[in-house]
Amino acid sequence: MSDEIVVVGLSHHTAPLALRERRSVEPERLAAQLEQLVGGGLVAEGVIVSTCNRVEVYGTAPDPKGAADKVRAFLEHQCEGTEFAGKVGPTVYARRGEAAVRHTFRVAASLDSLVVGEPQILGQVKEAYEAATSAGTVGTLLGRAFTRAFAVAKRVRSETEIAAGTVSVSSVASALARKIFGDLRGRRVLLHGAGEMGEAAAKALAGDDAALTVVNRSQEKAERVASECGGRAADYVQLAEELHRADVVITSTSAPGYVLSADLMRRVAKARRGLPLFLIDIAVPRDVDPRVGHFENVFLYDVDDLQQVAQENLAQRKRAAESAEHIIETEVAEFEAWRRSLSLTPTIVAMRQRYQEIVKAELERTLPRLGDLSSKDKKTLDKMAGAIVNKLLHAPMTELKASNGTSEGPIMVAAAQRLFGTVPGPQDESERPSLVPDGLVAKKTKA
Amino acid sequence: MLILTHFAMTALFYGVACGLFFVTLSRGHEGPGRHAFPALLAGVMSHVVYVGVDLIGDDTPPMSDIHSTLTVLSLGIVLAFLFATWRKPAMAILGAFVTPVVLVFFLASGLGRSVGHVPAGVRSALLPIHIVVNIAGFAAFALSFAAALAYVLQERLLKQKRLGGIFQRLPPLHVLDTFGLRATSIGVPLLTFSIISGVLIAVRSQPGLASLGATQFLAVVAWLVFAGVLLLRIAVGWRGRRAALGTILGFVCVILVLVGYVARAGGGA
Repeated sequence: MSDEIVVVGLSHHTAPLALRERRSVEPERLAAQLEQLVGGGLVAEGVIVSTCNRVEVYGTAPDPKGAADKVRAFLEHQCEGTEFAGKVGPTVYARRGEAAVRHTFRVAASLDSLVVGEPQILGQVKEAYEAATSAGTVGTLLGRAFTRAFAVAKRVRSETEIAAGTVSVSSVASALARKIFGDLRGRRVLLHGAGEMGEAAAKALAGDDAALTVVNRSQEKAERVASECGGRAADYVQLAEELHRADVVITSTSAPGYVLSADLMRRVAKARRGLPLFLIDIAVPRDVDPRVGHFENVFLYDVDDLQQVAQENLAQRKRAAESAEHIIETEVAEFEAWRRSLSLTPTIVAMRQRYQEIVKAELERTLPRLGDLSSKDKKTLDKMAGAIVNKLLHAPMTELKASNGTSEGPIMVAAAQRLFGTVPGPQDESERPSLVPDGLVAKKTKA
Repeated sequence: MLILTHFAMTALFYGVACGLFFVTLSRGHEGPGRHAFPALLAGVMSHVVYVGVDLIGDDTPPMSDIHSTLTVLSLGIVLAFLFATWRKPAMAILGAFVTPVVLVFFLASGLGRSVGHVPAGVRSALLPIHIVVNIAGFAAFALSFAAALAYVLQERLLKQKRLGGIFQRLPPLHVLDTFGLRATSIGVPLLTFSIISGVLIAVRSQPGLASLGATQFLAVVAWLVFAGVLLLRIAVGWRGRRAALGTILGFVCVILVLVGYVARAGGGA
């Protein structure tokens, strides 16, 4: 039986944030936890991916079901003595074999993320893989699975629009501002009013090193928001002057009518002498007269516009995700074909070895009877024997390879092993070539 | 035969680059975008060989007729584009606006050959400088035209709130505006020098007969439009759409000037 990949964990799909927080593994504890998993014999290889949205153990084992149960128990044990004791079980999922490979590829490609297409997950998975490599818990199978996962993630990002657009109102506002001004460093952002959504948008823009000014009827509130967002507060009476200076205006007052009238904004646009002005009206009812949107070099977006953009981007990502799933399936099939070929290799090697041993023995027995042969004749005989071995093995090997991955595969392998006398005995089993590197085996034995 | 082969190869490479840039802009696939620049570079190499073969095989002075001038002008535009977008991947998509201009100018250069012999009176040390500066100025205007087209398209998409693929792939408005301003700032002094040197050459070759033909008149109009746009940008603060439309108008005048020369060379007015 060959090793298979197993994934056991919990994520935003199954567990609440409080539990994910409790189960998350700090970077400094990763090596110790990997040691417990691999050194303790729960899995042969191991990688732990721990982010705010998921805690997952990736491992390999010849008995994936048994390994999954052990890792599940390991995760549950970690929560003993906490408020989540006994509650972890239902939130933990396990994937084995092909499903585990698919899961690995989907996670790296951000198809399993809370916000599909978000870019951070790939970096987090890479960090987890590097940590496991440093801890010496990655072998051939898991190593290949993760390096393929990184390549698949790259392929998905370049061949689909999985990461196109932004999907929250504040990030859409920030992205649009960048599309107008390019670099936002040093640009002036005016937050007019201090609604929650306006604050979020202002924070997103201030995060891009824009200079933030907050104007609000309540000076106290303006100062509080300004200090929270890293900006400055200005008197409400200075609104017109601040409007002249601002490149981006986020307005979210609770005024019943248009606070930024067409006349006022016409004067502002004129005073700006053609400099573009981006108006983000998040207020309901709206603060800005819609006619302002027709002014030259003024770009007006209200909350519906921003939400529509966010929705469209989300829908676009979902469409892209469908294409990405096709890529994942192709890659999973290729990976599984490679993995299955690993199980075939020992049988093929054993068959060849067996025949070569027979030929060698027969040659050694026959050669003395042939008298003095020149070295050239001996070589010719040797070549002929090798060619006979190859020809005899050609048909069975072709059949074995063709059946690999089909339902007939294991039957054919078993048949070949019996017919060619290469069935691994108890001794052979222990000497079966391991997929785990020597260093790791030594480590396991030591542990 | 050799020159025809190089002409066809150059046109083919430019055509492929143009198509790849368009696919990248409209469909957003990275693959074509990655291959557009190599295709353009292949076009440049083939173009250089073509110009070289043309020079060796022709005993007339280089750029002595509008067709060979268009050949060099199209090469100048590509080189200016490659130089301006060097290490600026966000601006590479402007290739979708530049390469059609290059392709049209290059194909126009192969429409035919005028006699192209420069009258002895016109030949002077100033003539090659006049032509080279003129070509450099037109190349700068071609780039400002490409940026202006992209600006108008991008601004329209932003106003109409159509923020899909093309909008995402075009550079930010401010970047396009600044790019256009820089290109115009380079083009106007060059064209100013070119017009002054052209007048000097004309006056020297035909004293007393110097007059303004339709083509020269259009060249002056083009200069006036570009200089006006630059002046209004600096003095009045013209930016964005208005400046972009002015730039497009200026380049239309440049194209009309070239069409005038081609028509004249072909026996037209």
